[in-house]
Amino acid sequence: MPLTRESIVEGLQRIVGPEDVITDEHILVQSSVDNFRKLQNIFDVHTMPVPAAIVMARSTARVAEILRFADEHGVNVIPRTGATATEGGLESAAPDSVIIDGSAMNEILHIDAYNMQATAQCGVPLQVLEDRVRELGLTTGHSPQSKPVAHMGGLVATRSIGQFSTLYGGIEDMVVGLEAVFPGGQVTRIKNVPRRAAGPDIRHVVVGNEGALCFITEVTVKLFPYFPENNTFLGWTLKDMATGFAALRAVMVSGHKPSVARVYDPGDAGIHFSHFAAPDDCVLLFMAEGPAGIAKATAEGIAAVVAGFPECKPVESAYIETWFNDLCWDASKIIAEDERIRQTRNVNRTTEISADWSSINDIYQAAKARIIVEIPDITMMGGHSSHSYINGTNMYFNYFFNVVDVGPEEETDKYYLPIIGIICEETLRLGGSIVHHHGMGKARAPWVKDEYGSSYYILETLKHAFDPNGIMNKGTIIPK
Amino acid sequence: MSSLRILVSFKVTPDFEALREADWLAGAEDDAAEDAAHGVETRYVRRVLNCFDESALEMALRLADARAQRGSATSLGALSVGGKETEPYLKTLLALGYERAARVEPEAALDFAPAVVASLIAGYVRQVDHSDLLLLGCRSGPGDSGTVPFLLAEALGWPCLTQVLEVEPLPDDRVRVACLVDDGLRRVTLRLPCVLAVGNAVVSQLRVPTLTDRLARKHAPIDVLSGADLGVDIAGDLRRETCVLTGLETIDRARRGVIVGGATPAAKAHALFAAHLKDLVEKL
Repeated sequence: MPLTRESIVEGLQRIVGPEDVITDEHILVQSSVDNFRKLQNIFDVHTMPVPAAIVMARSTARVAEILRFADEHGVNVIPRTGATATEGGLESAAPDSVIIDGSAMNEILHIDAYNMQATAQCGVPLQVLEDRVRELGLTTGHSPQSKPVAHMGGLVATRSIGQFSTLYGGIEDMVVGLEAVFPGGQVTRIKNVPRRAAGPDIRHVVVGNEGALCFITEVTVKLFPYFPENNTFLGWTLKDMATGFAALRAVMVSGHKPSVARVYDPGDAGIHFSHFAAPDDCVLLFMAEGPAGIAKATAEGIAAVVAGFPECKPVESAYIETWFNDLCWDASKIIAEDERIRQTRNVNRTTEISADWSSINDIYQAAKARIIVEIPDITMMGGHSSHSYINGTNMYFNYFFNVVDVGPEEETDKYYLPIIGIICEETLRLGGSIVHHHGMGKARAPWVKDEYGSSYYILETLKHAFDPNGIMNKGTIIPK
Repeated sequence: MSSLRILVSFKVTPDFEALREADWLAGAEDDAAEDAAHGVETRYVRRVLNCFDESALEMALRLADARAQRGSATSLGALSVGGKETEPYLKTLLALGYERAARVEPEAALDFAPAVVASLIAGYVRQVDHSDLLLLGCRSGPGDSGTVPFLLAEALGWPCLTQVLEVEPLPDDRVRVACLVDDGLRRVTLRLPCVLAVGNAVVSQLRVPTLTDRLARKHAPIDVLSGADLGVDIAGDLRRETCVLTGLETIDRARRGVIVGGATPAAKAHALFAAHLKDLVEKL
């Protein structure tokens, strides 16, 4: 017999006290969605089940007690910290869900400059940690656009990646050890060591679990020396994405290690670079960093490789540097964007995928061509590659559409999900991965079996083993 | 059926939000910086529509929509005194239903030359566009004299309303205009022609054309004119401008914060009231 909404609230209040159980109706309604259905919050039209409560996690022991209670009574829980998810991972897909909010667990526990690692509770904003380590001449190397607003727990839970990933890697390359709490209240700590070969790397059960297996309470990440004075920016304009991908690949396989390596198609370049690029121009750009000698050699090496593509015309580096310095999304930009949507009903959405060098341009071209033809009211369809590897890269589709003849709550069904569907279909058909760094959430969960193929067995077994009662973030990664 | 000709004049400006404090400081220190207009190097930041002009452009579209519902025809035109960087914006406006799009090549930096800008716009209205109603933002970022609408109205011999927040259509091609004044909101019924300088309006965002709209107006022309075409000697008039940039200095806008202490939220609230709010409340 499931607990009533009132019983859930009473049970939580007994564990944490009434002051840490939020039941304000307005806050609960707003918390029923994340940025996947952001129009519901912008226009205050809501369709998702309203959570029963938000419970503030203030310690690992408290998280364990909450999860024990939820597991015992079959209450669906949604772990969150910065609440910046974009793929529906924080949606309350089940009635009477409980949001476990880790944002108050916001202490930086230890900065170990000798062993080059920092330990933070899940609710520490990345910007706060980064600012603190920079005072010591260090950096986390992690800089997603959400840096000013995202928290450490959520970044690890969603397998985040930052703008300097081509040098430092994704969050999975930065996490040393962590602490997480599993359903039933089992607290697990994975120790901080440089490497080990003591069986499978169990960090990866936790990193990217999106709250569908456990609640992350603490993470330890690597630190790196910070040399901003040596940052060197390079940029070129060119006329087609096939050449752009080829130039990116040439740099990546040449042994050079830029921290940023990107190519923008004309639509996306029009948003960022119209002050120096022609309307039909693509833009290729790199950043080299590190100790002076390495930054200089990297920049020179990249320039020499790109010189092998005479279609690429160099631009002044100040264009790239100035643009890059204004790239992160802080709260003021989010508010301005919401107001723009409120007035114009013109919505910007993004979907990111990855593929090897052989397939990426085909996926980009195929998905773009279908979306323009099959989806109505498109105002811009473009994208860029922003994270490259020795064997391939990602494609960050960036698109805008006008919401016409439907209410804001129908935007996902009429436009967003059909576009995601086309991108997933084309990516799977051509052998790529349907999610590069936003996480599966609930938005792309319907494609999970096609994404995993026969390895879905491993994922499904993990879910059953760690969450046998199915209380962890129902519908995320694995559909309901 | 009467057809009202509306012209909106707009400016494309550097996105000052994208400039760092260091860029401003460097501009203030180095008078020899390349951007002759105002010392601060703005070449490297993206361009945006001046926000007040963006309001004016959307208000004109809404006015045309409202008139269409009454069965009245409207012909919209857009003009910018600016270089090639204005053309993507003019193409967008054509896709949104603006019938006429033109730009006047500025030939020199005009950020501190409001009289020259006003003569160019007035020349275009009189000699080319023959508009009945002219909308434009009441100010813009670079230069920011706030005088162009007044100079323009004077040159045309038209009335001018400033701080316009709303425009509604009335029969017989009159318009009802709401403007912000010192003691509130004034609503005025106007016969045309007139100049409306748009202030901090609620309507602040320009709608966005679809790719289909863009394709349909892909070949619509953008007229490019010179000062000479409009009977304006830009270089000569510039020499008569009286406004000269002599320097820049930083305004300290840092906010001071106080952390209120107390063992409980109630204690903190009491402390906040006693130390910071009580006097204010008593003065009310």
